[in-house]
Amino acid sequence: MNAMTVPVNDSLPPEVLELLNSKDGTAFEQALDAMVRQREQHLFRALGVLARDLHGAVSRLGSDLANGGMPDSMTHARNHLAEVLEMSAQAAHRSLDFVDRIRPEAEALSNNANAVLDFNNSETDPAAVLARQAQVFASACCEGLNDMVLVQSWQDLAGQRVKKVVSFIESVESSLLELVRLTGALAGREAPVEVAKVDSQDEVDRLLSEFGF
Amino acid sequence: MKILVVDDFSTMRRIVRNLLVELGFSNPMIQEADDGNNALAMLKANAFDMVVTDWNMPNMTGIELLQAIRAEPKLKGLPVLMVTAENNREQIIAAAQAGVNGYIVKPFTANTLKEKLDKIFERLAASGASA
Repeated sequence: MNAMTVPVNDSLPPEVLELLNSKDGTAFEQALDAMVRQREQHLFRALGVLARDLHGAVSRLGSDLANGGMPDSMTHARNHLAEVLEMSAQAAHRSLDFVDRIRPEAEALSNNANAVLDFNNSETDPAAVLARQAQVFASACCEGLNDMVLVQSWQDLAGQRVKKVVSFIESVESSLLELVRLTGALAGREAPVEVAKVDSQDEVDRLLSEFGF
Repeated sequence: MKILVVDDFSTMRRIVRNLLVELGFSNPMIQEADDGNNALAMLKANAFDMVVTDWNMPNMTGIELLQAIRAEPKLKGLPVLMVTAENNREQIIAAAQAGVNGYIVKPFTANTLKEKLDKIFERLAASGASA
């Protein structure tokens, strides 16, 4: 209802303004039809370009799949990530092996230093001074080794993220496969319908040209 | 005290084991499982005193393991400490509702682990004394 009372926009082309103000209803309707058709054609052309691009992309993907499974880059990306996961786990285990090897030695050094100090706790005797230094070093060493163990949890945290990316790539892969399967199925279903309805190659070409092919 | 450490990452199992030994638990008494399914089978076959579990694992997740433990008459009283990278509110609430005894977000420190374990044992002792 409101649309009837909207004031005519001055920015409209003069011929449209003229038609809107004219009393010739038929001419107005014809002009309006022409405008709508023109807009539709733009829209169909854009849709046609889009459909052609999609068709091209899916065809390329389909031929990639036929020639050797998923596109190489995607398989490589997944393999690389699996390697990163494996290498990072190995690196973390090597650090933990190192901790397992050094910790008993640090503890033994601390025990030996204590034994020396039990026997000789002199402030000035070089043996006692060295024993005290050894004890300080051994306890700092144990503390550092504990930190080193904790720090290795980066592998778990980073690994969990890598696993999420791997499963994302897998889902993209299966979605692409599904897309190819679906577009293949659609093409297969539509083909006979087109043959039945269109009489000549010219009509086919005309029809396709409307869709940007 | 017999403890089961459950995590799909072998490095994390080793880290947790290492920290538990540092806190005074006996190394041979600590056992490991790499997912909830295997953990549940081990818990049913042998008596454990505590479970330390991750959340995100294949086959059976940590929260599913916790629910399975609470649903099993023989295991339902077993203390379960969750050590996980999952830090969103809903998941923490879900774990609490499922009856978790403690919840630690990775990365964590040895002190945090000690604190949560102490709290679990304090509560268990208190509930044991009042029972």
